[in-house]
Amino acid sequence: MQIRDAKDFWSGIMFAAFGVFFVVFARQYDMGTAARMGPAFFPTMLGGLLLLLGAVIAIRGLTAQTKDGRVDRFHFKPLTFVLGAVVAFGLLLRPGGLLVSLAALVMISSYGSDEFRLRDVLLLTAFLGVLVMIVFIYGLGMTVPVMPVFLRD
Amino acid sequence: MDLIDNLALGFSTALTFANIAYAFAGVLIGTLIGVLPGIGPIATLAMLLPMTYALEPTSALIMLAGIYYGAQYGGSTTAILVNLPGESSSVVTCIDGYQMARRGRAGAALATAALGSFFAGTVGTLILAALALPMVELAFKFGPAEYFSLMALGLIGAVVLASGSLVKAIAMIVLGLLLGLVGTDVNSGVARFNFDVPELADGIGFVAVAMGVFGFAEIIANLEHKGQRQVFTDKVGKLLPTMAEFKEAVPAVLRGTALGSVLGVLPGGGALLAAFAAYTVEKKVTRNPKIPFGQGNIRGVAAPESANNAGAQTSFIPMLTLGIPPNAVMALMVGAMTIHNIQPGPQVMTSNPSLFWGLIASMWIGNLMLVVLNLPLIGIWVQLLKVPYRLLYPAILVFCCIGVYSINNNSFDVLMTAAFGVLGYLFYKLRCEPAPLILGFILGPMMEENLRRAMLLSRGDPTVFFTRPLSLTLLLMAAALIFIVALPQISRTREEAFHEVD
Repeated sequence: MQIRDAKDFWSGIMFAAFGVFFVVFARQYDMGTAARMGPAFFPTMLGGLLLLLGAVIAIRGLTAQTKDGRVDRFHFKPLTFVLGAVVAFGLLLRPGGLLVSLAALVMISSYGSDEFRLRDVLLLTAFLGVLVMIVFIYGLGMTVPVMPVFLRD
Repeated sequence: MDLIDNLALGFSTALTFANIAYAFAGVLIGTLIGVLPGIGPIATLAMLLPMTYALEPTSALIMLAGIYYGAQYGGSTTAILVNLPGESSSVVTCIDGYQMARRGRAGAALATAALGSFFAGTVGTLILAALALPMVELAFKFGPAEYFSLMALGLIGAVVLASGSLVKAIAMIVLGLLLGLVGTDVNSGVARFNFDVPELADGIGFVAVAMGVFGFAEIIANLEHKGQRQVFTDKVGKLLPTMAEFKEAVPAVLRGTALGSVLGVLPGGGALLAAFAAYTVEKKVTRNPKIPFGQGNIRGVAAPESANNAGAQTSFIPMLTLGIPPNAVMALMVGAMTIHNIQPGPQVMTSNPSLFWGLIASMWIGNLMLVVLNLPLIGIWVQLLKVPYRLLYPAILVFCCIGVYSINNNSFDVLMTAAFGVLGYLFYKLRCEPAPLILGFILGPMMEENLRRAMLLSRGDPTVFFTRPLSLTLLLMAAALIFIVALPQISRTREEAFHEVD
């Protein structure tokens, strides 16, 4: 069997997988009755519906007549660096403080672009550091550790 | 008269110094972000939402409304100057606006867009104020069955508008509904789908979903196609339209406003549909245009811009009076209200009149500020378009991350946003439009709640949705919508309409 429209086919699989996920994990909760629905009732209903929809979409992906059914190439570089930078920010914020995590966020994410220039990135980091201190710490009075753990008193 | 009294109350709330300042800040920042290519109002709102948490509810909503208008207008500016629509509703503006810019009439196009939007916004605000009372009275007749059916209608309406496959859009809604159910179930107190993660007991953060799926995914997508951006900076030209242009634009603005006001109220309607419809109508109405459509006809800017602003305005009606968001932007507003512990719905007007009317009044003020702010500041926006993207996006990320963190002072939310960024990118690659997902996400808990209540009241009899006349009407409307869109003829035209602008 040949996949005609890969975008549709894989979206169908994705939806179906989500549907199965919710149906399966809803089983540990109480279904209740139609008049007194338990916590599992609505999720099970929707999960089943999603599974069904996913199947329809996937089947259409197998049968559709289309010219540009291919899924575009995934660009892992921007994906990894942008979201990796966000994760780094989240993990570093408590132990490292705002300035360290901000520097990590700016530098790692900048690396996701094809036009990385170290000097510009350093300047940008410094600029954003100052701006964030003024706006969020002094201006809005946000309570977040600024300095790394070992420099805090 | 009630209307006058109410508006007076609204203006007295909105015209305090602080609230004017917030409206001003909202419009300014909204435009600032909205001007950046590839970032639409939904992404802008999602990114800036956390900034308003510290404010008191009225000011926060006023600022958010300002951000929304600013973002929308910023999108039009980008559409005209760079031919890059920041959002789907300014896609239409691109067609003729950019051509006007190439003819050296960018200034006139921008001014027409601003003035047309202002006029449309004024009319839209008046309609909103006038319809609010009767709508709220209607809303009090609604039982849980009606609410459930209304939400179903709203969701179906949103699907009709999503470009691309209908089934996929419905699947996105269902997925959104399911994601909305994560967290503690209000009736039984059971924490659902939380996998013993304490942070998930309160549900998935709404900002995390919106910012990840819209904001982050868009940034990554933008990095993929390194744009060859062409800005017509030197040729903005005179701002004022010529007399001939003015005469052509006025009827287009009037038609656009009328169309936009009507379409905005419809569930699923709002800015996008309004802009499309207005452009199509102008094309049909105008015989022998001096400048053909698609080559810089001023009507092609005036009509859709007025329509999308009028629609943006009137789409607040179902959100404010019924508590049901008709589109993704309003879903974000509902999310913002919930965070401030305001349960959107008919009771807001009675229990919190100064917030309700203050918000309406501030919409008009926001529209006025757009004109005052944007026309003189066009130079600055143009400069902003020249800043290379490689410097812009890390800055955007910084503000997003700090914003997400500050909601609950919790790093977990930041990590969730990254996870939804991955999901958003996957959606983008698989051509699954994310707007319906957000709508479903907001409506999920509300729908379940009303479904349960309706079924409890009917003692488990599901026919209750068909035997109550109001509920039946709403469901029939939803069915009719699906039927109409599924007709082969219509679906072909629909595909073409969305294709024309790709």
